[in-house]
Amino acid sequence: MKADEGEVFDVELEENILKANQELADENKELLRKNGVMTIDIMGSIGAGKTSLIEKLVKLLKLRYHIAAFKGDLTTTIDADMIKRHGVEVVAINTGKECHLDANLVRKALERLNLPEIDLLFIENVGNLICPAEFPLGSEKRIVVVSVTEGPYMVVKHPFIFMDADVIVINKVDLASAMKVDPEKLKADVGKINSRAKVVFANCRSGEGVGSVAEALGL
Amino acid sequence: MEFSRKVHEGSITTQIVESVLKEANCRNAKKVVEVRLAIGSLTFLNPEQVKFWYEMLTKETILEGSELVIEENEGTVVCMKCGYKGGFKYVDDSALHVPMPTLQCPKCDSQVQIASGKDCIVKRIKMLV
Repeated sequence: MKADEGEVFDVELEENILKANQELADENKELLRKNGVMTIDIMGSIGAGKTSLIEKLVKLLKLRYHIAAFKGDLTTTIDADMIKRHGVEVVAINTGKECHLDANLVRKALERLNLPEIDLLFIENVGNLICPAEFPLGSEKRIVVVSVTEGPYMVVKHPFIFMDADVIVINKVDLASAMKVDPEKLKADVGKINSRAKVVFANCRSGEGVGSVAEALGL
Repeated sequence: MEFSRKVHEGSITTQIVESVLKEANCRNAKKVVEVRLAIGSLTFLNPEQVKFWYEMLTKETILEGSELVIEENEGTVVCMKCGYKGGFKYVDDSALHVPMPTLQCPKCDSQVQIASGKDCIVKRIKMLV
């Protein structure tokens, strides 16, 4: 149909804006599955302990799996270097100003790995409890790390990111009494939103609970 | 645009504006009058912020001054166990202040899959040709 000059034309578009990322994420997932790479996306606030968790998981699992990690940060390779010192391949993804990773950035990082050699890939998202939930990356499982030092209301204040996570790590439990935060209360808050998720108490500095995280991931 | 990349509403609204511009240019539009957008309840898009970014990003384009009409859609889920298809089960806990959708089946409590609600769709564009 063609409109005449000066006419108001009403066009039906039905274009899904978030679909581009979803499609790329599906392609990533397919590529990773085909190469037998189990991929785990780790989300959480700034300072929640995402990097420490990855470091401890790498230490625990590196003899059983060929591990690689992507480390998303706005700038620097500080955290990427921390993971790298455990002898695994790490690709630092610097987003510049973006508050989350997206499927396209992950796709580009995947090109830098020799996928048939890798069995296990950790993707650490940018520290943020809101935006990353909007952008699936193509991972098989998702972890959210929340630490007691973030206060007692972190789960109820950011419920959506917990909604479809597979494993929730409540970190820094050694500081719970000093922070006057009850980890059981955080666990109960998760249970209200997502009764399917496995909740693990951990201290990612000492490594306490990290074995249970691996177990919860089926590793 | 540099400032459009700082929050996710900024980057997504950039994509909205780009897709509307592309369509309008394809049809040789002189001006876009109205854009209708549907946002699913499970997206992290705040309509107020999307409108703010839309106004900023459409400046000095043929979209400038156009009205952005946003409809918010409730999501739907499908239960693989009992076959339920429909709205979410909500938790109405006073601590959450807003009813929070869960991935539990309202009928049989098993895990459900999200059928819709994660979309952000440009539905219609009214343009002056």
